Amino acid sequence: MKTTTIRDRNTQRNFAKRLMGAVLLLLPMAVHASPQTPTIKLFPTTVLEEIKHTGNVAAEMETGLQTVIARLDEQQQLYIQSKCEGNEGDPGCEQIARQMGKSYLEMLTIMGDKLPEMETAVNSTSASLEKRIRRELGQKKTSWTLQELLAGAQSETADKADRPALRGRSGMRLSDRFQQYYKLVSRSGGEVNSSLAVIASDIYLDMQETSSLIARTREEISRATLMEQLNQSFGTITPEMQEVVAGVKSILFGEEEPLMPMTAPPTSQPEQAYDSPLNL
Amino acid sequence: MNTSIPSSITATIALAAMATVLTACNSNPTRATACSLPQGPDLDRAIAAARFDLETGCEQQFDQYFQRLLTIAEGDPKKDNKSAFSEFLIWANEEGLLSKRQARETYTRYFGVKYVSLISDYSVCDQTCPRRHEVMREMNQELVDKEQGLLKVSADRREFYRANRLFQETELVLEATCEACGSSE
Repeated sequence: MKTTTIRDRNTQRNFAKRLMGAVLLLLPMAVHASPQTPTIKLFPTTVLEEIKHTGNVAAEMETGLQTVIARLDEQQQLYIQSKCEGNEGDPGCEQIARQMGKSYLEMLTIMGDKLPEMETAVNSTSASLEKRIRRELGQKKTSWTLQELLAGAQSETADKADRPALRGRSGMRLSDRFQQYYKLVSRSGGEVNSSLAVIASDIYLDMQETSSLIARTREEISRATLMEQLNQSFGTITPEMQEVVAGVKSILFGEEEPLMPMTAPPTSQPEQAYDSPLNL
Repeated sequence: MNTSIPSSITATIALAAMATVLTACNSNPTRATACSLPQGPDLDRAIAAARFDLETGCEQQFDQYFQRLLTIAEGDPKKDNKSAFSEFLIWANEEGLLSKRQARETYTRYFGVKYVSLISDYSVCDQTCPRRHEVMREMNQELVDKEQGLLKVSADRREFYRANRLFQETELVLEATCEACGSSE
């Protein structure tokens, strides 16, 4: 039978002490080596819901405006085909112009009704994101750690095709944009912090832009409505009217603009990269 | 007794002494004082010549030598050039020509994906946003250096693409963050 002597116990205690010492020494390394980086909380459920809601409001507004804008397009086409430009005194042309004016007024009314709700939704999403971005990226990060966050995810997602496009919002409906944002954010599920930082920044800047466009449009609507009511009696199409319609179309339905050229990623497979001990 | 030395002998001694002094001067290496930047297309030879000059009195011109080496390397771009420059900078640090920090920053500026222009100790809101445009200008200049180091010297398109992408993302994220911080310029 083996008995445990005091010496044995001392040996065990010493061993335990050494083990604890070693564990304590190794602990910082283990923590440092952990692949998990602190999650940045840019998209809590509330923000996600706000994005979704903004998308729904935009979709409602689009549905309401789609018919009237399509009608306006047809009328304008007819106006051009009938060679009415420079021929304003013609009774037929005057009639088309009045019809266009009516459609234009209808569009302004729908926008006037829907824009306040849209503005509230956009501003609310923008304010929530602003708070999150300020706290998570502006106050918790230095420019170096922010860069590390972005560069880290570059290597994680280097070969993924679904990396979010940067500020490529042209040519897309407003509601589709929000739907895409919602999908991007909800799908990533906090997996790729850096992509989320880029997406959050993109959405936030987009919201800021949209918000100021909405504010400007609202200011213009009452003035434009009055002007058009006056124009109705003359049956003329003003360049301003065409401009407003084009503006609304670009905000809501996107516009055809070529995307900014970017350096194309090389197609070859990455070789074993040289890693200098000097590399930061 | 006449102890005076004839003038012809004095002249001969003087001439001999001058000749000795001149010969001694000629035997000194002239490279150290010349500080001539390396020539030729061979990077290894150029690095060896640069090392010799830099350790024999030309250390003040380190930047010019480094720039010349980059230009020479552009003539034969390959990924191995990265390690050649890394070793050269490590040597420069060991010789006391550069601090470790300077060596790291120089290497990263030309051959790394990250931007040394973004090194900072304080938060983005407090330190970076008040001088965001200046930071972006510095990053832009660094991107030009990376183009030289990664693309023209190392032929590493992938890494240069990453650096370019990082530049664009940083620009976007900084714009949004500084707007959110309320201190955008």
